[in-house]
Amino acid sequence: MAEILSTLRPPLVLGNKSYADITDDVCSALERKSSTGWWTSFIIAVGVLILGAISVGYQLVTGVGVWGLNNTVGWAFDITNFVFWIGIGHAGTLISAILFLFRQRWRTSINRSAEAMTLFAVICAGIFPIIHTGRPWFAYWFIPYPNFRGPLWVNFRSPLVWDMFAIGCYLTISALFWYVGLLPDLATIRDRAKTMWRKKIFGFFSFGWDGSNRTWQRYEKLYLLLAGLATPLVVSVHTIVSWDFATSIIPGWHTTIFPPYFVAGAVFSGFAMVLMLMLIVRKVMNLEDYITLHHIENMTKVIIATSGMVGLAYITELFVAYYSGNPYERFAFINRALGPYGWAYWLMVTCNVVVPQFFWWKKIRRHVGMVFILSIFINVGMWFERFVIIMTSLTRDFLPGSWSGFTPTILDITTLLGSFGLFFTLFLLFARFLPMIAIGEVKGVAGVKRATPPGAVEKRKEVAHEPAPVG
Amino acid sequence: MKDHLHTSEDQLNLPEEFSRRSFLKLAGFTFAGGVLAGCQQSNLEKAIPHLIKPEELVPGVPLWYASTCAGCSAGCGVLVKTRDGRPIKLEGNPEHPISRGGLCAVGQASLLGLYDSQRLGAPLAHGKESTWEQVDAAIKAELEGIRKRNGAVRFLTGTITSPTTNELVRRFLSTFKDARHVVYDPVSSSALLDAHERTHGVRALPQFRLEKATTIVSLNADFLGTWLSPVEFTKAYRQGRSLQGTPPVFSYHTQFESRLSITGSNADERVSVSPVELAHVASRLLSLLTERAGRRLPVAVPLLDERLERCTTECVERLWRTKGKSLVVCGVNDVAIQVVVNAINEVLGNYGSTIDLNRSSYQAQGNDTDLAKLLDEIRSGNVSALFVDGVNPFYDLPGAQELAAACETIPLPVSFGERNDETAEHMHYVLPQPHELERWNDSEAIAGIVSLTQPTIQPLRPARPLMETISIWMGTKESAYNLIRAEWERSIFKRQTREQSFTQFWNKTLHDGFAIVEPKRQAVSSFNPAAVAESLRQLSTQSLQQKLFVELHASSTILDGRHAHNAWLQELPDPVTKIVWDNVASLSRKRAESLNLHEGDVVRLNREGGRVIELPIHIQQGHQDDVISVSLGYGRKGTDRFHHVNPKWLQAKPTVEKGGTVGTNAAPLLEWKGKTLSYFVSGIEVERTGTNRQIAVTQEYDFLTNPNLLGESSGEKRNIIQQASLATFVANPSAGSFPKPPLDSLWPEEHTYPGHRWGMVIDLTACTGCSACVISCQVENNIPVVGKDEVARNRELQWLRIDRYYEEEGETLRVAHQPMLCQHCGNAPCETVCPVLATVHNSEGLNQQVYNRCVGTRYCANNCPYKVRHFNWFQYPRGDEIARMVLNPDVTVRDRGVMEKCTFCVQRIQLAKIEAKNEGRALRDGDVKSACQQSCPADAIIFGDVNDPNSEVSRKMKDPRTYRVLEELGVRPSIGYMTLVRNSDGIAVAEGGMKNG
Repeated sequence: MAEILSTLRPPLVLGNKSYADITDDVCSALERKSSTGWWTSFIIAVGVLILGAISVGYQLVTGVGVWGLNNTVGWAFDITNFVFWIGIGHAGTLISAILFLFRQRWRTSINRSAEAMTLFAVICAGIFPIIHTGRPWFAYWFIPYPNFRGPLWVNFRSPLVWDMFAIGCYLTISALFWYVGLLPDLATIRDRAKTMWRKKIFGFFSFGWDGSNRTWQRYEKLYLLLAGLATPLVVSVHTIVSWDFATSIIPGWHTTIFPPYFVAGAVFSGFAMVLMLMLIVRKVMNLEDYITLHHIENMTKVIIATSGMVGLAYITELFVAYYSGNPYERFAFINRALGPYGWAYWLMVTCNVVVPQFFWWKKIRRHVGMVFILSIFINVGMWFERFVIIMTSLTRDFLPGSWSGFTPTILDITTLLGSFGLFFTLFLLFARFLPMIAIGEVKGVAGVKRATPPGAVEKRKEVAHEPAPVG
Repeated sequence: MKDHLHTSEDQLNLPEEFSRRSFLKLAGFTFAGGVLAGCQQSNLEKAIPHLIKPEELVPGVPLWYASTCAGCSAGCGVLVKTRDGRPIKLEGNPEHPISRGGLCAVGQASLLGLYDSQRLGAPLAHGKESTWEQVDAAIKAELEGIRKRNGAVRFLTGTITSPTTNELVRRFLSTFKDARHVVYDPVSSSALLDAHERTHGVRALPQFRLEKATTIVSLNADFLGTWLSPVEFTKAYRQGRSLQGTPPVFSYHTQFESRLSITGSNADERVSVSPVELAHVASRLLSLLTERAGRRLPVAVPLLDERLERCTTECVERLWRTKGKSLVVCGVNDVAIQVVVNAINEVLGNYGSTIDLNRSSYQAQGNDTDLAKLLDEIRSGNVSALFVDGVNPFYDLPGAQELAAACETIPLPVSFGERNDETAEHMHYVLPQPHELERWNDSEAIAGIVSLTQPTIQPLRPARPLMETISIWMGTKESAYNLIRAEWERSIFKRQTREQSFTQFWNKTLHDGFAIVEPKRQAVSSFNPAAVAESLRQLSTQSLQQKLFVELHASSTILDGRHAHNAWLQELPDPVTKIVWDNVASLSRKRAESLNLHEGDVVRLNREGGRVIELPIHIQQGHQDDVISVSLGYGRKGTDRFHHVNPKWLQAKPTVEKGGTVGTNAAPLLEWKGKTLSYFVSGIEVERTGTNRQIAVTQEYDFLTNPNLLGESSGEKRNIIQQASLATFVANPSAGSFPKPPLDSLWPEEHTYPGHRWGMVIDLTACTGCSACVISCQVENNIPVVGKDEVARNRELQWLRIDRYYEEEGETLRVAHQPMLCQHCGNAPCETVCPVLATVHNSEGLNQQVYNRCVGTRYCANNCPYKVRHFNWFQYPRGDEIARMVLNPDVTVRDRGVMEKCTFCVQRIQLAKIEAKNEGRALRDGDVKSACQQSCPADAIIFGDVNDPNSEVSRKMKDPRTYRVLEELGVRPSIGYMTLVRNSDGIAVAEGGMKNG
């Protein structure tokens, strides 16, 4: 193993792992019988998924009226959930693509899971624009495909059509990126496989990976290209999602700040979700050596930064509403903070702006339990952010005579739960059958170690050179 | 209706140019006559297409018949639109002298009653289905016995305006020694007639000419809502409040009332008074006016408190100034007050100018004294035969149970009606009556104005009209058609001189729907001042001390309960409270606070004698603190049929519990005050039940100002309704206008309108909020009823809603009604966001919704600043097979999951275009009338081609009063609203408001 010694950087993988250790640590989890913990989680997740599936099935049979929506409030939980899940997905792409391009090598331990999370979150998100329609069986009309009905075309001015493209791209690229990254690891599993079927299946999915120099070279080239392609998506997807609101004329939606605000919020919530998942995974799968406190700390730092951006956006919104002189806009924001959904607004502000400030303390940053709890708060806060935006603007817009409220029905709640069920079901299946950590990439950073114990007088003049990039 | 008939009373000649429509109407009569003659008794078993098609019948082309509305007894003229033998729409007959083209919500919705599958299908004998022969034989035998032993025969009916029926009843009763026809109105105006008997020696209801009045003072008379003849009054009221001319002739309307009525909401000055104060106000008005006239009243009238003294003095000033051109009306069923009001009108010289007693009205003929006498007779067991028609005494009278028990002793109780209602179930025989749209009938609602009702469909139920039944019992067995013809030939034909032959007169009347004949003269004696002193004395004994009253009033939608089985009306929001599917106990905020009650808390209203009703409370603006008002007409038996009028789903709450009723019957609280029914009831205890009932409203926030979220009076007023006072309007026709926003655009004009461009103007000064347009739209456009729960969830489907806003300024409450419908924006925000182009702009300025293409993202509705798009949340039940016959075949029935909204009645535009094309001419202004416009009793809605510079709509668009709602958004709506002008000095609404950002 090529050792890279550094006085500055903390080691990325603890426990003095050899390459074989790494392979073993990651793969053995997939080769053991499933633990009771996994089964329990899986059964709960599938149960909740079934609950959600029944809800959606019932809704498809009966009508969208089974949700609490009304004439004034055409969207509520459905689009809130959609934007929430899309936001969650952002961390994955950010970690895998942007951090990759920025040579943030600590990402290697978490990028696989984060990418998987992205994929599953986008799947969860993608369901909502379909099922929220009155006639989901015609949702394919969003796609501009050649047809014999005129031909009827889509409305390229509609942000929902942009959404369709944005999410479609995002899902494709995320899936591709994730899958390409998996290839060497799939091959590893294939090579370790004991049964014929396992060998065949993983053999098929690893595309005949032979581990040759040429294969690696091409793989790394492709990975770099995909990272390049995925990077703009980090910005574009949520920008476009925000246009669903920003291009409308409803006060509180019609704001130019939405794209950056949404992207920052997405990264913010995505990192919180990655943290939540990683904290569980490292514990359950015994991956503490790979997903170290150092990783956790890094992620909390990203959260502080994005929380600041989100907070800035909140303040900017209020200021611009005041400064615009537009009475409807002004009222929309007064109402947002003090109206009937004021509780949701303040919950959002607390979770998204106040709670992350705890991460300024190193002790809290390195306290697994605290980090876990705080990330839950952030996720709750970010769900409410979307809820607040949708709800306060729709319930009280221009004509007071049409103002209304919104009360969720049981099916609103079960559908939201169901999306979590789907997410965790997919994630648990992933954890059970595929390597949670990019074995190939982690091996590349396993050699980064402390040269001497910190604080010791350093005599050595040799400066640790940067670890060679994977690509 | 495009017709060439004249509306004026003196110009009733057949039009020189015999238009196609007129021809069709006449032809339609012939057709209907044929149907009637051919199919009277037979049961149609097979429907076969015409082998030889009658010339006038073209599939898909509607036939129109002139007829008379039977929604209430006001006798408005209607045109019945039939398609393929089914009536599908009622519209006002523009030539009819009473309604002049208007038709209220009740009248329009009465169409649905025709397709009610729960109407009786056969006569009932002792609760079991029987045949007409058996029933007739049994009743005739009984009647013979009664005739022999000189038993008392009583005919108890509501107001019957049909001269033929009245004559037949008279003739039938004359065959008995002891027989009487007793008439009562469930919401009685008896005192008004009685008062005229005392003051003018004739028990008659005068005709009120609101159009001639410059000053109108109403004492609790809801003449724009439910009082006597609302459409006629609305037309007249608007005629007297015109902004044309310099200076405009615009009446001043003061309303003294205890609850906020729709009439009060339109008043220039509204004074909220308790029932006792009301009586004293009447006396005080009289005393001040008599003083003005230089006379003295024989009775001293006490002074009022400062506020009322100021109001009455001002009122008297105005009345005196406009003496002879003023009008004081009173809706209180109390003879003393009515006598005082008569005296006021007499002092003012209004008799003969704004009050016509010679051409009196028959719209309310009820006589409470007669009724009281009959009830005594029933209680003492002296009645041998009781015939009940058109009223429901065991429901709408107090002490109904006791009355029903007393009726057990009557040997022959017979009821005529459409269903086995509260009264019918206690009767030995129930004889089903046909719906007005499937029968012949006539009406003389106002002396000298006679109208005909003609059948427009083969009867859906084997019912028999009252007049035929009487004829059979009298042994003549004539059809209603022959009976009416005979009666008309005998009496009515003689009252006119224009037509020489009866056939001509009959045909013309049938074609027009009405005829003007000489009114029957009555001996009106000169004013008798003696009655006044006694009345004043009676009123002055009433103590001004505060006590709690319950005011009972007719429902604005289902009236006295006769339309309780009409789902359209049950779901029509009350024009003031906006409540549907329920009645409530309305009270003021102050009273609610003192009783520690909150909206929806169910209270028990206890009246001594164990008369108790339970109702949820509703806090209402403009309500007098000492009054709780409750609407009558609810709690009808059998209304649990609406249990599942709403879609079924997991959390759906039934509109009404199984075995329950829609709302609660408040009639048990009614009180006999001497020989009149009193609608103000005192001695009521309010008791909390601790339960809560959801009230379904269509408007949740009632103000133009934002809520005060940043502390007291931080709420800004929104620029939505332009208002001005008459004085400022006269000085500046664009008074009250909101600042015009700069609407320059960098973009080139996207849409061009080479041909027509449809637009609408709604005059807020004219609109009274009566909601006729809402029902008209619902009927025309196949809008389903969604039920109470769905309305409570804010999912009502009516395409046109009327936003009602309150503005409170100290004591004064101002109310504005604003019809809100799709604005067909030239730059529509809904169009850009639809991903599948399901809502698009057409070359005539219509914003079209393509149901087939709609996927149902609801993005369009979210982005609509007016929130006028409605979503089909479910597959809505549309009633049974019979109920579905009411659907308009020209309008798509929408499926679940699609968005819908006002189309500007595109089907009517298309029809008018086709007609114009067939006639080889260009479309003329007025050819297309939207459904909402056609029946508007206030003529507040103008629709037409904005590209035609001479069209009424384009002229109105250029009016300085016209503005667009939310113009600053740049969506360029096609609907212009016209400033709401009130005849009050104090409106400083031009100032204030908010600046456009």
